[in-house]
Amino acid sequence: MDWFWPEGFYTLVMVGVFVLGAFALKLPIAVAMSLAAVSGAVVAGDGIPLRHLVEGTFGYLDTILIIASAMIFMKTVERIGLLEAVAARMIRRFRSFPLLLSLGILLLIMVPGMITGSSTAAVLTTGALVAPVLIRLGVPVLKTAAAIAMGAIYGMIAPPINLPAMIIGGGIDMPYVGFALPLLLCTLPLAVVTALLLVYPDLRRFKGDEVALEEQLREMERTPLTPRLFLPILVLVVLLGGETFLPGVWPALGMPLDFLLAALSAFLTGRRWNLLETATSAVEDTLPVMGILMGVGMFIQVMTLIGVRGFVVVSALALPAWLLYVGIATSLPLFGAVSAFGAASVLGVPFVLALLGKNEIIVASALSLIAGLGDLMPPTALAGIFAAQVVGEENYFRVLKHCVIPAVLTAAWGIAIILGASFVAGVLY
Amino acid sequence: MKILRGTPVTALVLLVLVGAVSFLAAREFLAMRVPDVVVPAPGYETHLLSEWEPSLKGTPADTPVYIQAGSEPGGTVLVMGGTHPNEPSSSLTAVLFLERARVNRGRLVVIPFANIMGFSHNDPQEASPQRLHFTLADGSVRTFKYGSRATNPIHAWPAPDVYIHPQSGQELSGKEKSNLNRAHPGTPDGDLTSRLAYGLRQLIVKEKIDLAFDLHEASPEYPVVNAMVAHERSMELAAMVVMELEGAGIPMRLEPSPKNLRGLTHREWGDFTETMPILLETANPSQGRLRGRTDEDLVLTGRDKCYTKAAALGRLFVPYDGSQSIELRVARHTATVKTFLDMLGLFDEAKEVDVEGIPTYEELLGQGYGAFLTPLPLKDASPGSQG
Repeated sequence: MDWFWPEGFYTLVMVGVFVLGAFALKLPIAVAMSLAAVSGAVVAGDGIPLRHLVEGTFGYLDTILIIASAMIFMKTVERIGLLEAVAARMIRRFRSFPLLLSLGILLLIMVPGMITGSSTAAVLTTGALVAPVLIRLGVPVLKTAAAIAMGAIYGMIAPPINLPAMIIGGGIDMPYVGFALPLLLCTLPLAVVTALLLVYPDLRRFKGDEVALEEQLREMERTPLTPRLFLPILVLVVLLGGETFLPGVWPALGMPLDFLLAALSAFLTGRRWNLLETATSAVEDTLPVMGILMGVGMFIQVMTLIGVRGFVVVSALALPAWLLYVGIATSLPLFGAVSAFGAASVLGVPFVLALLGKNEIIVASALSLIAGLGDLMPPTALAGIFAAQVVGEENYFRVLKHCVIPAVLTAAWGIAIILGASFVAGVLY
Repeated sequence: MKILRGTPVTALVLLVLVGAVSFLAAREFLAMRVPDVVVPAPGYETHLLSEWEPSLKGTPADTPVYIQAGSEPGGTVLVMGGTHPNEPSSSLTAVLFLERARVNRGRLVVIPFANIMGFSHNDPQEASPQRLHFTLADGSVRTFKYGSRATNPIHAWPAPDVYIHPQSGQELSGKEKSNLNRAHPGTPDGDLTSRLAYGLRQLIVKEKIDLAFDLHEASPEYPVVNAMVAHERSMELAAMVVMELEGAGIPMRLEPSPKNLRGLTHREWGDFTETMPILLETANPSQGRLRGRTDEDLVLTGRDKCYTKAAALGRLFVPYDGSQSIELRVARHTATVKTFLDMLGLFDEAKEVDVEGIPTYEELLGQGYGAFLTPLPLKDASPGSQG
């Protein structure tokens, strides 16, 4: 009881108010999170700590800007007809090679995540690009979204840029060196399995009406796929790639500006589109997620203020040795409901310290993989929410159901790599 | 997700609410920009770092530098606190040397707020207190700010995805670009944090600093804690000091500066200047990831049930009996620096630096930190100017 009281009680109050607000009162998730944060502070005797509530939201300022600008970019390439034209071309080229198409598409989804370290960037760029291809070729909408969400998470974790691994490394003064091979080992096998589970079976079985498909393809090709149409993608690749591969030479503009400049370059494609309408529509679509992030920011700041965060972290560390790995596999993704990066910092660092003695690079790589699953965890669930949006599915929980098996495999693979860290290090280095 | 129906009236109400919340919160945030007031002991000259690196002049990185020279020639020692403003015993120890020291031989250079740009904000989602209060012997109260590990993003935004240390090409998380202790030895044409590091290097070179301290704190669960980290050039002197401290009942780990972890003072000051760099760490529960309730009391007492449980689980790298008070942490730093000063003359007679007036380890533990602060002059004693 000494350990539980009062922080355990505060935890119940915060979670309880959130559940009541979100599910019983049907309030928007963002409002329910904010109310839960305020309730926690009031119960703990801190009143309504305005400074803390506002300060907490600033933890997601950069994320919010990336989400808004990436969505503007996605809407732009959709408006100029690039998405459909590329999808039509891919379908014509690769529909006879379902295995190659499955694996290639997963890799394509991963690439923006690998370069930017952001699953949102992956979902809203190449994820949006491949969604129509998969759907036209018979992959169910929900499975398409699940494949995009999983691919985006693997991209976020794959090298060269893995922000959770950098955050964990930073917590123990470990430079981000020597991570490329372990991170490839963490992600590539899972990407292959996901492609084979979620994409390949339907692509292989696809026996669509050829006449109807041809008609659809012609419709999609009403915008000619000229090199000029690729300009926004080219600008984005150059801006993001330049920052990643030419550091020190290339100006660090930041991802939001990169996305906006790439979107603006669509004016040079010769296609007509309305900037104001596109930006308004993008912000409208992303507003609920941005609100959720604000609410989560308040929630985590109050958790920290009143001791709930420490209570959760130390409770996880207090698990008996044989349960520690179960704790890692569950608490890291669960805490990812706040954010994958937050989970890497708050729990990833203590876990890597608890596992000192094993190869730290391998352990941190695997922990970052498991932390990445946080992007599937409601209420933030950035990868799940945006993957649902790019396929036009309103209820992202239906997408998450299809992510369960790959996610469980991901957690199991991460734990297996931690358990065999010494062996893996011996093989890789 | 249910969409609430909005009307012009609800929009107006929300706008007014947002305006009110923004106004009230902004007042608290802006209050962090008022600088802490210090009272240098007689004999100190007050400078700004831009005197050594002119590109810092007029920038928010231009931090005060205090120099006191003794009547006898000797060596020059730098005591720097506030590299990470969320590690309060570092700046508080430097303030102690600033307000108490009487230099008889050699020169003492004190920088209490090294990354002064980190003292004007707090880290989001860390719920840090904004200020620490200390009661002085005369009953007055002085306050010091509890800041952030990093430069205020208002001066450094946006952070890149990846920070690449200019001299080594080492890659770190992008937010480390705003971390002064990953920016050394600095560059004259970099961002403000990098130029600040460059300015510190210029000061060390031009003032011929013989021994340079960079004071820090670390989480109790971090392996390098209650420790000193020494560059190869400082190692012999550091080993002598550790033995002396052990004899005085102050256990101290001695760690060699890793050659593959770049951007830190103990590596870069040693490699890029002639000084002997030493980095000191004490255990600060208020910055740890395992901490429970986060408030001023935690910073000042270090009492925390989560750390007590973590200690019982064997997860900590320091002995933790339920507290790690600010007095203990300042006393450890103070005793270590003082022991170095005492040993420096034995190490090299020409570099001796003789300083009096610094409270002992036992005095700090017995009387508390506030007892050794100087009351503010009347003009600075209003709540606003105490900062």
